[in-house]
Amino acid sequence: MNWLTTRRHFALMVAPALIIYSLYMICPILYSLYYSFTNFDGVSAGGFAGLDNYRQMAQDDAFWTSMRNTGIILGIALFLLIPLGFLLAILLSGRVKGSGALRALVFAPAIIAPILVGLIWIFILDPKIGLVNAFLLAIGVPAHPQWIGGPTLSSYSIGFVYLWQQIGFVLTIFYAGLRMLPRDVMEASSLDGASRWQQLRHIQIPMLRETFGIVTALVVTGVFKVFELVYALTGGGPVHLSEVMVSYMYHITFTTQQYGYGMALAVVVFVVGALASAATFLDNRRKGEVR
Amino acid sequence: MSIDTEVKMSLASPAAPGETPHRPRRRRRGRIVVSAVAYLITFVILFPLLWIVLLSFQTNDNILNRPFSLSDLTLANYQQALETLNLLVMYKNTLILAVVSVTIGLVISYMAAFALTRMIFRSGRRRTQTTLRFYFLAGLAIPVYILLFPVYRLDITFGLFGTYFALILPYIAVTIPFNILLLTGFLRDFPEEIEQAAVMDGVGLWRMAWKVVFPLMRPVVATLAILNVIYVWNEFPFAVTLINDPNMTTVSLGVSQFQGVYSVNYGAMMASATLVLLPQLAIYAAFQKQVIAGMTAGAVR
Amino acid sequence: MATSPQSAPPTSRRPSGISRRLLLTATASALFVTATACGSAVNTADGSSSDGLITLSMHNPDSKTQDPATWQMVQEFNKQHPDMKIKLEGQPVDQHEQRMTIAAQSGTLPEIFWVYDSLAKTMVKSGDLLDLTPILAEDNLKAKFVPSMLAGFRSGNVQYGVPYQALVTGFYYNKAILDEHKIAVPETFDDLLAAVKKLKAAGVVPITQGANNSSFSVWAFLTMLDRFGYEAKYQDILSGRASYDSADFLRLYKHVEELAEAGAFPSNMNTQTYAQAVASYTSGKAAFLDAGVWEAAKIQKSGVGKDTGFWAGPTFSDGVGNQKLVMNVPSAPFVVSAKVKDDKKKYAAVKAFIQFYYSDAGQKILVDNAQPPVTTYKPSVDATKNPVFAAVLAEASKPGWTSPKAQPDLVVSAATASAMYDSFYGVMGGSLSPEEAVKNVQKTIKQVPAVTP
Repeated sequence: MNWLTTRRHFALMVAPALIIYSLYMICPILYSLYYSFTNFDGVSAGGFAGLDNYRQMAQDDAFWTSMRNTGIILGIALFLLIPLGFLLAILLSGRVKGSGALRALVFAPAIIAPILVGLIWIFILDPKIGLVNAFLLAIGVPAHPQWIGGPTLSSYSIGFVYLWQQIGFVLTIFYAGLRMLPRDVMEASSLDGASRWQQLRHIQIPMLRETFGIVTALVVTGVFKVFELVYALTGGGPVHLSEVMVSYMYHITFTTQQYGYGMALAVVVFVVGALASAATFLDNRRKGEVR
Repeated sequence: MSIDTEVKMSLASPAAPGETPHRPRRRRRGRIVVSAVAYLITFVILFPLLWIVLLSFQTNDNILNRPFSLSDLTLANYQQALETLNLLVMYKNTLILAVVSVTIGLVISYMAAFALTRMIFRSGRRRTQTTLRFYFLAGLAIPVYILLFPVYRLDITFGLFGTYFALILPYIAVTIPFNILLLTGFLRDFPEEIEQAAVMDGVGLWRMAWKVVFPLMRPVVATLAILNVIYVWNEFPFAVTLINDPNMTTVSLGVSQFQGVYSVNYGAMMASATLVLLPQLAIYAAFQKQVIAGMTAGAVR
Repeated sequence: MATSPQSAPPTSRRPSGISRRLLLTATASALFVTATACGSAVNTADGSSSDGLITLSMHNPDSKTQDPATWQMVQEFNKQHPDMKIKLEGQPVDQHEQRMTIAAQSGTLPEIFWVYDSLAKTMVKSGDLLDLTPILAEDNLKAKFVPSMLAGFRSGNVQYGVPYQALVTGFYYNKAILDEHKIAVPETFDDLLAAVKKLKAAGVVPITQGANNSSFSVWAFLTMLDRFGYEAKYQDILSGRASYDSADFLRLYKHVEELAEAGAFPSNMNTQTYAQAVASYTSGKAAFLDAGVWEAAKIQKSGVGKDTGFWAGPTFSDGVGNQKLVMNVPSAPFVVSAKVKDDKKKYAAVKAFIQFYYSDAGQKILVDNAQPPVTTYKPSVDATKNPVFAAVLAEASKPGWTSPKAQPDLVVSAATASAMYDSFYGVMGGSLSPEEAVKNVQKTIKQVPAVTP
């Protein structure tokens, strides 16, 4: 039995959050949706443009590049960040001395303002003054790749920095999940002669399915909001080749003053992001149990 | 209640048989290797931060041209950062924003989460609640840059512009989705027995929510409080758009103070970054146990 | 107690007869919110009690170090006018533009502010800006300006802006480096290309540029665009009678490509900011720097100060029209919020500030901070004390050389300007071919309706 309620009481409990959230989060989305059908320049009223902005988007190479780059970061997040975060959680959940302190330290990047993270990594990835290439030079590697700023590697580098930034957060969630597993299961299985790998595969991973689901959902929504990293590391350049969806939207809206088009991009960012995370949530729900 | 739990139960049930002998030496060596790897990874992850702290002691010219020379380290950047930034005012403002928005945000998120999970209608149907929960979670996908123009307008309309509430309200709104996600996750698995007992004692709704259930939520609330404070501490886009009074500047704006159109003072940037970072790290170090405890308490489900 | 699950959205129902405690709490918190909000609402932008306090909003967060001329101007003004007060504020340029845009939407613009001309033009369209014609007419202030300094900031009969500072742009060069490699200061493009090749072979960065978050830093190349006939043609291009994708411009971009292929630009051009590019020049690592007069003071103070000269940029044997062009134009304008006219005291303060700024005393403050005057004020610059600044002024007033009326990017929409920057940096960095570069700009021009006065 839960708490039986009336609509009135229910409404009172939900109302404050619902009002603030609707006003400050949902209304803006509707507002963006409206302006995405105009050619508003941000200051003076523009005319109704129908689907022009969306048509322009379809033909805009830079937009598709930004989609692709977001996809690259998403790939890195799904196939590297989550597994590595999980493995690190296992590594730091066990018998390592001082693992509590290590977990706290690894979380550090996650509490730094993203704009600072970008700034920090410029001094590491910059092809000329960055640490990585200086290191390569010092150990005699002749190749000095353009980690950022070149035509190809930027998005991968940004994905990697995103990994660095988020891994402590992912680790913490997994660690919390691991701690919830009943200890005797692991003990019993190791007494039964199960190898560490078998334990991982047949006990820990299946039992943490919901945790994986939550992490995936958070990481996916996070990827679609990446902005500051790109803004600080490459400014979207060269020539928009490293732009992600939000940074391109920012460029169009604020730098080129195409407010209507920018809002059309914003709507697409939101819809794609929401669909992607809804997919993971629903998948999660299907696999788990619904209440 | 869930398939998972059943799995857990069935796996957990076989009683542990007697000890089987292991080879302790190999185990110890393994442990050393594992520890070494763990320390190494932690170091690699921390290295960029150490690098920034190191750069903050170099001159602007050195940072850009000879970042690896450690010859003339200087405190000038800190001096400049402290001269330019009114750190006390910035910390004060950030603290006010953080305390007010996180408190209100958590209180109303909790109320909503409680209603969405613990309250049932006599009919027993939960459609409204499920729908509302998804409505809230959709907010996780909203990039804040969409919000800037509309929020500015709302603030002007409500006469909030130029006040702390111009920032507090959007901060609350932005944190609501994640708060609801963790809180509902926790509340869904909250044991019914406690409530039942309370109902028998004739406890009212308000007392039930705040006096009976809320105290048991401490770990998850602590986690959220810390994560929300970190968010407010770092928040840049709203702050830079909605603050137009130097006396209301927050720490997140500090670093950008050194970025002119034609000149960027990287040294002072690094120094102020360090000055912003250190208290943050200290706060997190102090509370990290709670963060993990809160997540463990079922919040991640 | 019985309720239907398909209740209307909770917010739409006004609860009646709720439990008293809930009501009390709700009221109390509502009161608290309102009280706190109003209590601290001292500095709303539209506070109507006027005291002659006006805000000047700039594109630098810390004007004292980043724009000392303006800072000093405000200090001096406040000292001379005890009955008025200017509050100087600012943010980084991106955030500043963003904020002014948002402020215009909601009618909360500061009294005076700096803004890119393209944004100013959209603000004029919606009536957000004050017509400064009456202010300029008083005491014949207008006579202090060369007509071209004001012409760009006029829309119909409305003089919506006044020039903030002057843009004299081109290449700074390091004489010591050039001498060391036996290179004479180039005049033509072929000279420049030869110099680049020599410098590159010697391991010196020939021309330093920084594209990261500063894609606008292509000033010398914008002047080159004028040496290929941009000024005569751009109105036709914007109205669709001509195309940016033309043989003339293509020739320029091919020259830029030649420079890029000769290794003219640093390998981290795309990740370094403009500020970093300047730093690499002032530390003696690069031979040429694409910049403008605003760097004179900084370069003077640096280690390369004594070796630095200034050059308007290369002439082209295959160029179009007059090649003897040096960019000496008004930069972005100061504009005034239209609301100022409703408030006598604010209006008086704005007028007094503009009069002060363009008075000889005001212009002297500009010159003292190594900024060329924007009026006809004739500065006396001590060439022995400020050789870099003197060199820039000398190049700007070279006999036989003239200036275009405006910088090419400042007469087009923000989107087109951005596409132009990208076109240059794209070719310099090798990610765009010259053909793609001109096509991209043309495509943007066609997509975005031109902002024409």
